[in-house]
This record gives sequence, C-alpha cells and structure tokens, in this order.
Amino acid sequence: MSKYKTEPLKCWQKAKELREKYYKDYQTAHETGGLRWTGGAWSFDAIPYGLGDDVYPLTGEPYAASIAFMKDFSLECLEATEAKGWARDLCSYMRNYWGSMYLDKWAFGGPFPKANFAWQDHICCSHGKWDQHVAEYEKIPYFCIDVSVGPYNDLDEPKLKYVVDQMHEGIEFLEKATGREYDDEKLIAAVNNECRHTSTWAEICMLNKHKPAPLDEKSMYSLYVFGTLSKAKKEFADFMEEVRDEMKYRIDNEIAALPTERCRLISDTQPPWAFLKVFRYLEKFGAISVGSLYTFALVGIWEDKPDGTWGPRTTPAQQGIKIETRDQALRILADWNLSKPEWQQFYDPTIKTRMMKRIYDEWELDGVMLHLNRGCEGLSCGIMENHWGLTHMDVPVMSFEGNMGDSREFDESRTMDRIDSFMERLGLKKLD
Amino acid sequence: MFSQFKEWYDKRHEYARDWKQRTGGKVMGCFCSYVPEEMLVAGNILPVRVLGSHEPQNVTEPYLFGMYCPFCRDVLAQGLKGKYNYLDGITLSQSCIHLRQSYVAWREHVKVPHDYYLYMPNKVQTKAATPFLKSELEKYQAHIEEITGRELTDDDLDRGIKIVNRNRDLMHQVYEHRKGDTPKLTGLEAMYMTVSAMWVDKEEHSAEIEKVLAQLPDRQMDRDTGARLLMVGSENDDIAFIDMVESVGATFVVDDHCTGTRWFWNKVEPNDDRLYAIADRYVKRPPCPTKDWEERWRFPHIVQLCKDFNVEGAIVIQQKFCDPHECDIMPLRKMLDDNSIPSLFLEFDVTVPIGQFKVRVEAFLEMFGVDDLF
Amino acid sequence: MITAGIDMGAKNIRVLILKDGEVIARAEHTAGFETEESARAAFAKALEQAGVTEDRIDKIVATGAGRESAPLATESVTDVGAAARGAKEVLPQAHTIIDVGAEEGRAIKTDGNGKVMDFAVNEKCAAGAGSFTEAMSRALEVPLEEFGTLSLKSTTSTPMNAQCAVFAESEVVSLLHAKTPKKDIARAVHDAIADRIISMVRRVGIEPEVALIGAVSRNPGFVDSLKRGLERDVFIPDDAEYIGALGAALVAVDG
Repeated sequence: MSKYKTEPLKCWQKAKELREKYYKDYQTAHETGGLRWTGGAWSFDAIPYGLGDDVYPLTGEPYAASIAFMKDFSLECLEATEAKGWARDLCSYMRNYWGSMYLDKWAFGGPFPKANFAWQDHICCSHGKWDQHVAEYEKIPYFCIDVSVGPYNDLDEPKLKYVVDQMHEGIEFLEKATGREYDDEKLIAAVNNECRHTSTWAEICMLNKHKPAPLDEKSMYSLYVFGTLSKAKKEFADFMEEVRDEMKYRIDNEIAALPTERCRLISDTQPPWAFLKVFRYLEKFGAISVGSLYTFALVGIWEDKPDGTWGPRTTPAQQGIKIETRDQALRILADWNLSKPEWQQFYDPTIKTRMMKRIYDEWELDGVMLHLNRGCEGLSCGIMENHWGLTHMDVPVMSFEGNMGDSREFDESRTMDRIDSFMERLGLKKLD
Repeated sequence: MFSQFKEWYDKRHEYARDWKQRTGGKVMGCFCSYVPEEMLVAGNILPVRVLGSHEPQNVTEPYLFGMYCPFCRDVLAQGLKGKYNYLDGITLSQSCIHLRQSYVAWREHVKVPHDYYLYMPNKVQTKAATPFLKSELEKYQAHIEEITGRELTDDDLDRGIKIVNRNRDLMHQVYEHRKGDTPKLTGLEAMYMTVSAMWVDKEEHSAEIEKVLAQLPDRQMDRDTGARLLMVGSENDDIAFIDMVESVGATFVVDDHCTGTRWFWNKVEPNDDRLYAIADRYVKRPPCPTKDWEERWRFPHIVQLCKDFNVEGAIVIQQKFCDPHECDIMPLRKMLDDNSIPSLFLEFDVTVPIGQFKVRVEAFLEMFGVDDLF
Repeated sequence: MITAGIDMGAKNIRVLILKDGEVIARAEHTAGFETEESARAAFAKALEQAGVTEDRIDKIVATGAGRESAPLATESVTDVGAAARGAKEVLPQAHTIIDVGAEEGRAIKTDGNGKVMDFAVNEKCAAGAGSFTEAMSRALEVPLEEFGTLSLKSTTSTPMNAQCAVFAESEVVSLLHAKTPKKDIARAVHDAIADRIISMVRRVGIEPEVALIGAVSRNPGFVDSLKRGLERDVFIPDDAEYIGALGAALVAVDG
C-alpha cells in the first residue's frame, strides 16, 4: 500500500538531548551560581537573557505538557491541586504545574526547583493569575507583561508603546529582583536569535506544503517545542536551521512522514497529550495531520509573501537592520511577537478562521479536526466560530472534546468513533 | 420605596425602547462594566449593560463552546433571540476571554449597526496603562462622534463626567444607610438600584435615588437584619437567590460585584485632560480579577468594605467556568478567614438550584445565631 | 439478495434483515455484558422471524458503538453513516436527522443522497441522551414508560438547566422540595434534554425537513419538547429505533 518511502528523522536524537539539557540546566542552575526564572511559553524570554548567559527559564506550558504525557504523575499533580481547593475546570497546564510545585516533585526526578523570579505574559485570563499564585506560594518576585492590544493589522504607535513601556519597566524589575546589571548587548543578541528561530520554524512548516509531507504533526510537537521552551536561545535557533535543512533533504528525496499519505488534515489547539495515539489512528486511513495553526504559529512568525502565499517573516537581520539600542531591540521584539498569528484569535476568531482556510488551501488539505480543548480557554477561544466559519466555506470539519492536560476529560473510544465517522464522510476506509 | 428600580429591572427593554422614542437618542449595548459611560452620556447616548436573562436556551452552541461561563452564553442568547434589537451599537471594553466571545458572536450573527472593541488594558498595575487607555479613548471618542454625527466637546465630556459621578455619589449615599445596626435597605433593594443604573438614564436614575434618600432616614425595617453578609464574586444579578438568602435570616450589607460596587465605587477625578481623567478612573477602579495582578489590589479593598459595613460573613459566588474568579476564590476565602469572616462558596449557572442552595445557606447562617440561642 | 444489519447499541442490539429491498425481519436483544452472545441471540431471533438460514444471507454489516466486536458481520459502518443511509430510504426529504439513543444523541446533516455533510455528537456528559431521562424518572419515582405521557399533561414551562446531568439532578430535587407538580418537572426534564439536542442540531444547521430516529423517539414527552423547541414538526419513521440497522443492511446492499 505504501506510495512513498519513509525514514526516521535524523535530528530526533539531538532534539531529545537538547530538551533534556534544557530541563537539566534549569534544575542545576544554582549549583554554578546561575539564576532560574519561571514563566510562560509566550513570555518575552529574550529579555531575561540580558541578565547573563547563566539565566535559565522554565516555561510552564511545555513543562505541564510533559507532565500530562506522564498520565499517572499528571493525575497525582491534578489531585494535589484539587486538594488545595482549586476548580477542576481551570487551565489544565496550570493545574499540572501547581500540583508539581505543591508535591515538590520535579517531573524529571528530584524536588521541584524553585525559581528566583517569575516572568510572564498575560494572554488569556489565566496567565497573569498563574504566576501570581506561584509567586505567592514560592515567595518570589513577579513581573507580567500585558499584550492585549488587539490584532497586528491594527497595531499603531500607542499600542506598541504600551507593550514596550512595560518591557522597560520589566528590565528595571529584573535588575532589582536579581541585583544584576543588565547587558543590552546580550538582549540584542537574544532578539536576533528569537527572530531567526521563529522565522525558521515557519519555514519548516511551510515546507510541509509539499506532498507527501516530510513531517507529521505528532513529530512536529517534538520540534516546535523548542520555541516554547526558549525562543531566544542561540542553540535552539541553530538547531532549527538543521531541522530546516533536513526537511529540504526529505523533500528532495521524496521522503514522506507517512508512506501511505492520501488524506491531509490539520488539527487545532493543543492535543490531548496523553492520547497522541489519535494521530497514529489516523494513519490507519492513510490520513496525516500536517500541522495546525497551533504548531505552525504559536512559535512561528509568518508574513504574506509577494506571490500571495504564506511564508516565514523576514527577520530584521535579513532586512539588514542592525539593532543598536535597548529601546530599538524591545520595539522589534514587541512588534515581532505581536505579529504572531496564534495571538490574533484572542481578539477575533474570524481572523483565525481565515488563516485556517488559507492553510487548508495552500497546504492542499482534505479536512480540519478541531480539538475542543476544555483545558485551555485561551486557544479554545472562538473555536465554535471557527467551526461555523470553516463549515460555511465548505471545509469538512470534525470536532472532538478533550483536554490537553487532564486525561480524565478525554473519551478515547468516542473520539476514535468520531474519527471513523469523519473518515467515512471523507470517503476513506481503513487501509488493509 | 425601591419599586421604581425593580420596575426598571423587570422592564429593561421596554424602558430603553421608550427612552429612545422620547429622546430620539441612540442606545449603546455595553459588554462588561469597563465601558466608559461618561463618554456615551456626553454624546447623549444611553449606555445599556447587556446582561443575561437566567433562562435556559439552545441557541448559542454553534458559536460559543460550552466550556465558557454561563453568563457569556446567556448574554449571547439575548442577542440571538432579538431581545436587544433596539441597540444602535455595541461596545466591548476588553476584559475576560469569555465575554469577548459573546461580543464577537453578536457582531457576526446578531448584527448591530455599530460595533466597537475597546482595548481596555488588562494590566492596570503599570504606569503605562492610563496613557495607553487614554489613546484608546481618543479613538472611541471618534467612534462616538461618527455615530452621533457631532463633535464631542470638552463641555460635553464635563457634563458626562458630572452626570455619571453624581449617580455614583448618590449610590454611595444609599450604601451609607446599610452601615448601621439596622440597614435601611435590603441587599435585594440595593441590587435593583445598582443594576438598573446600568441601563436607566443616569439623570432619571439619580432623581429617583434622591427621592429614596429623602425617605431612607425615617424608614422602619419590619424585618430582622440577621447575619450581616458580604456578597462577592463574578457577575451576579440573580434576584431569586438574593431574595432567598435574605428570607432565611440574613441581610446583604455590601457587595463586590461588577453589577455593584466594583462598577460604581470610584469617581472620575477632574483633570484638564478629560480623557486622561476618565482613563485613570477605569484603571484605578476596584479591578475585575482578570486585571488584578501582579499584586492583589482587590483584596485590601474588600477587607475595607467588610470593616466599613461591619460584615459578619460572606457568600462567595462564582459563575461556573469563570476562570478569573476561580483564580481568586481560594486566596479570597483565606483572606476573609484571616479576617475572621467565614464564607460560603456557591457555584452559579444560568439557573441555580434554589432549594439546595437554601439548605446550604441555612446551615451556614446557623454559625451566626449561636449567641442568641444559648 | 438478502442482507442484514446489526446495530450494536450500548443498551440494545438490533438486527434487521432485508430481502430485495423489503424488510423481512426485525429483532432486538438487550446488549448486556456479553455483547457477542447477545448479538448472536438477536440474529437468531431475526433469522427465525425471516424464515431463512444464516447461509442464505449474502452480506452482514454492523453499526453501533460496538460494531467492531459484532459477530458474523464482514464490514461495518459508523452510526452516523448508517443513520444517514437508513433515513434516506424512509424519509428522503429530511436532510437533518436527529438520532437519540440511550447513551448518545446525534445531529446529522445530509446532502439528500445519504451523504453526510456534517454531524455533531453529544459529549461525555449524558445530559443529551436517553439515559438522562431514565435517571430523572428514577429521581421522580415515575416508571419510565409513563414519564413521557406525564409530561404531556403539563402546560407550564419550568426553567431547568441540563448543561450537566449532575446539576440537572440537583435541580430536579430542588423542584421536588418546592412542591412542583411531577408533571411539570417531567416537562422541564424533557425540555432540558430537547434543548441539549437542539443546540447540537443548530451546530449542523436545521434544514426544512427534520427526521427523528432512535429509541428516544418513542418518548412522547421528548418529542413534544423537541417540536416546541425547534418550532417545527419532526418526522418519525415507523420502527425509528431500527433505522441504524436498516442503514447497515442497505450499506450491505450498496456494496
């Protein structure tokens, strides 16, 4: 039945090692006099790099996703959070993280490493509150930046200034919280790394327009994660370029992620991490998820290309811009992040619907699977409008309820049943 | 004494339609309590806060996922059912993600002549907030001018500020009468007053409060005060619930709701830069939990309310799935407890199981009657 | 040509046999824990009714939640696909199909040729399906068979929230404490479940002609609430609970 050849990703081992090192660095930072900060995948992580090369982040969402993947430990964490009296319908990443903190258990062994400070972004109702509680519980200083200035297309000077002013305040906070002097050169390097990293990731996703797709979404999760761990880390930006080169190699050699590819889909929102087998189930039908707005654009930064297609945003370095000052670096960083496609839906789901339709067309898809993710009010925001909008543009859509970080809220057999119905609707039967 | 407010509460749509007819003015539907009403009043526009109806419905699911709070779904249902078909425009003042979706779904599927998303900052604890909001209010001013077809002058803004500030002042004065040993009004009456102020013409509403204020000092309450309670939490205008609690031996003496004090507590402090003054008022008002970080500004304010109104206990209510309040309830109850104020927590949906809540409220209230029994 | 459809429902297993387009047998058996045995029993009953032996059946297709474990069947079709195919046969003009069974409620939009255009299925919570009515009738101590007709006697709408079955049950208890007549509570329960179903139907879109199939179509209280909520009539085919099995048998014919 195989139409294409396939082979494992060469970058896989390195991805594994880099990720392990990231968590190890955080855990052991204090042994060498380094600093630890906790925050979010959306945090402006380039900014704390100005404090030195020995400052290590822990971003809450991917850490919690790792916990969610370990079903039993996740349950322990969730129950610890519930035992403290918190509501069960709160962000499941936050509940996993808090649970790990309460239990004083690090997902990768040992006690939970306490941060020196918290550095967050407020994107949904829970983000500013997440580390408010962490800061109170751990008794650490806390700074959070609000980015709720609306869609990028409507960005103007006062909006940008609001974000940049907070960043300047944030640097004052960092100096005060750590007693360290801030180094603008390190900030500038970090901003350039972030732009390079997130633009390259968009390029990788763009390469997945190719048929057969060189990458499937399940593998993407293990690669895009670096942009959620630290967008501005040089090693990660370098690694993305290696991944990009491997994608080109796979395309040149017609190496498919799924040798039986005959149906191309995208998903939406974070997957139920304890049930990634959903993606393997699709393969039985010759169906592959080639990504999602979430995997493409939570990390990836995109722009309209001259030929009308969607591609990686040109970095300041590619444009020949040399960043000279702190303010210039912060303005570029704010503008860059505010253009993040995944950020637009927080204000207007119709923008997201249009982006999804664009992916549907440009990536030549057959359908869309929406994960109505009870665990994340942020990324599920407007999801029924997306459903409505896509359906009205004749895009075949299926939805399934679940929860990225709380396995108790996922009904495996019903979800598979729903996939069967959707596949039947698309005219596909299981491959023999 | 409060019957006019009740009538306004019960007949909100009739009132707005009538107002529109007799004044020829425009009506603006307000999503969330952060819409700068001073500016609407300045433009002779009637601000009408869009609330739910506490009735089950089956119309919102195609547009709004069921994991979001019942309030935002109820609000959308009102639009889809055409209950607010007299509105000339809607404004969302940005706050939580839940209500944001109701606004977008209204814009897309209810279709009102004008719609406006006001980027109210979510971080109020930064010096960047007021200047940013001011710049957003400049854009909102242009929007109002477009709707009304006339310029909004400094005099208009002064008038708007004065009218809304006066209404706030008067409500404060009524609240003063809740501080004494025998509150001169019930929590239900207070709720009718504050909530109706969210859609009644402020001057008419203020005139009615003045009538009430003239009579309040001599008012004899023919009921026992019972336990003095604070009502605190998410959006709440559940009249049936408040009435039930006050019928079993308690009186709500103060609240921290966006349908009550959080909305009207502070005033615009006059400043030559009118929009800056208005912006500053909304940045500094008692915050919704979704804007209350990094520190918790709301908590000391609540403690102060408890002291000023001699609160003995609190009923903490939360709209099911309301993330901002869910992130506050645990520390809030601890803070109340640290201040020797016991609390009862209840989760609200569009309708509430009154019978079961009554059993829990009665059990809670037993705590306060011990001295009298023995 | 003789074909059979086996609908492996969560609560009941139904078998239908078709001979040259004519239904020649219908039989059901409680699913129980040993679903395979139950399916065989239902199938044996159907064969007896049809007066044919197993070897005369040309093709057997299974549907229902347990379709993968159906004995005898060589192929399967999903509930959604079977419902759409079955409904096309009996009510071709209906492009919106509502299928309410014991554990699941579904809304399906078809293109008029039995092809599924969109579908919605109720989620984990049972608030949108037959078992919810059962639980509520137990709470009211009214036999399930009488629950539907009891609700028809009510002329009063009582608001009740059925976003969640557990919440709904506490509301029923509250209404009982408040001495609300049982007939009004019964109507409130049916209105609430109908609201859940209608919410789902709205997701796929309501076409002019609506068909209701599945076992819950036998409950007159629910049907009344559904019609009132949709503000239109709904068509209920004969043997509405066998439409899934019929659809499966037809899929067998279609090849």
